[in-house]
Amino acid sequence: MSVLIEIFLLFAKISAVSFGGGYVAFSIIEQANRTYNWMPEIELSNVLSLAGMSPGPVAINGAVGVGYKVAGIPGIFAAFLGIALPCAIIVILVATFFFKIYKYPAVKNVLYVLNAVITGVILYAGVSFALTSGILFSGVFKQSGDLIASGWNIIVSQIHLFELKSILLSGVTIFLLIKTKVHPIMIIAGSGIIGVLIF
Amino acid sequence: MKNKIDFKFLFEIYITFLKLGSVSFGGGYAIISLMENEIVERKKWIEKDKIIDVFSVAQSLPGAIALNASAFVGYSIAGIPGAIAALLGNLTPSVVIMATLSIVFTRFSENKYVKSAFSGIRPVIVGLITYAAYKIGKTAIKDIYCVFIALLAFILAIVFHISVIGIIIGGVVVGLILYLIKWKLNIGKVEKVIKVDKLNIETTVEKEGER
Repeated sequence: MSVLIEIFLLFAKISAVSFGGGYVAFSIIEQANRTYNWMPEIELSNVLSLAGMSPGPVAINGAVGVGYKVAGIPGIFAAFLGIALPCAIIVILVATFFFKIYKYPAVKNVLYVLNAVITGVILYAGVSFALTSGILFSGVFKQSGDLIASGWNIIVSQIHLFELKSILLSGVTIFLLIKTKVHPIMIIAGSGIIGVLIF
Repeated sequence: MKNKIDFKFLFEIYITFLKLGSVSFGGGYAIISLMENEIVERKKWIEKDKIIDVFSVAQSLPGAIALNASAFVGYSIAGIPGAIAALLGNLTPSVVIMATLSIVFTRFSENKYVKSAFSGIRPVIVGLITYAAYKIGKTAIKDIYCVFIALLAFILAIVFHISVIGIIIGGVVVGLILYLIKWKLNIGKVEKVIKVDKLNIETTVEKEGER
């Protein structure tokens, strides 16, 4: 039961502070996983990968995935309630009392700082995901993941820098997203097949 | 009698948002144009002007943009029950699909091919997240101070392991302080402008007097 409450509270917190979209939630989930020791980092990165490839908001998918992994079907409901409840309450409050919230100058100033913070946090989410997956600096830092055994690991004076195959895949992904209109789900599907071939 | 009609309407809202939720891969912005199509053009539940407001508000609030927007639209068309119906509708497909994937994946997580597939997918997720940072950064980074704030947030999280929740709340507090400072400065400015105006008026009045 206490695990369910942990999950509910975590996702209620995430729902209440995750301005600017789902990947902020990823970074909070990663930090919580370190605090509560729910599962090995690599398993979490699998769960978050699944969340990234399912339809719908990635924060919700992440919540459901983590909830299931930690506490089975009841965990799904705890996570679901945690995410949905604050959202419903905040929206209903705002809709009832101050609908055009973004027109208040205070909100504009807060968003000016907050959006910059969010940019930094999402960047952190990306780097952190690469660290825990063993793509960058495997075994160097506290949060570093295990070495990808079948990868091309670039090691300079016994310090692991990065795994080349993964970095190439990340680079191609960013290139495709910026330069073309390929749907992310196609890139994910393609990378799954490539993964079977090269890893 | 009234209740019966309401439930039918709520069910329609639920189904509409269920459809929207099930086709919006990648969440967030993807759902916005779909929602506009369905809610404004086809169902005519909300006027076009209002939906733009709804999306602006949805972005200003914490939580997934798609969820906020759904709850808002639901609320606008049928009050609190409408908000809940829309929210549940939007969440149902994500929850069902993600739960199914999790259950299936847990079965095969030790499979060799599944493992290598995930080794291929993980870097793509890194790319997706980095791209999200790039896209948000393009609108969020307005000047050199924003670059500084973003870097500070990044370093606090990755080097000092400060909790992301704390960093975000810190951002809100700094934003509020900034607003208060600007507000005080602005009061000074407004007074000056008025004084200058008065002088101008006085001088013009004097000049007219000379004539």
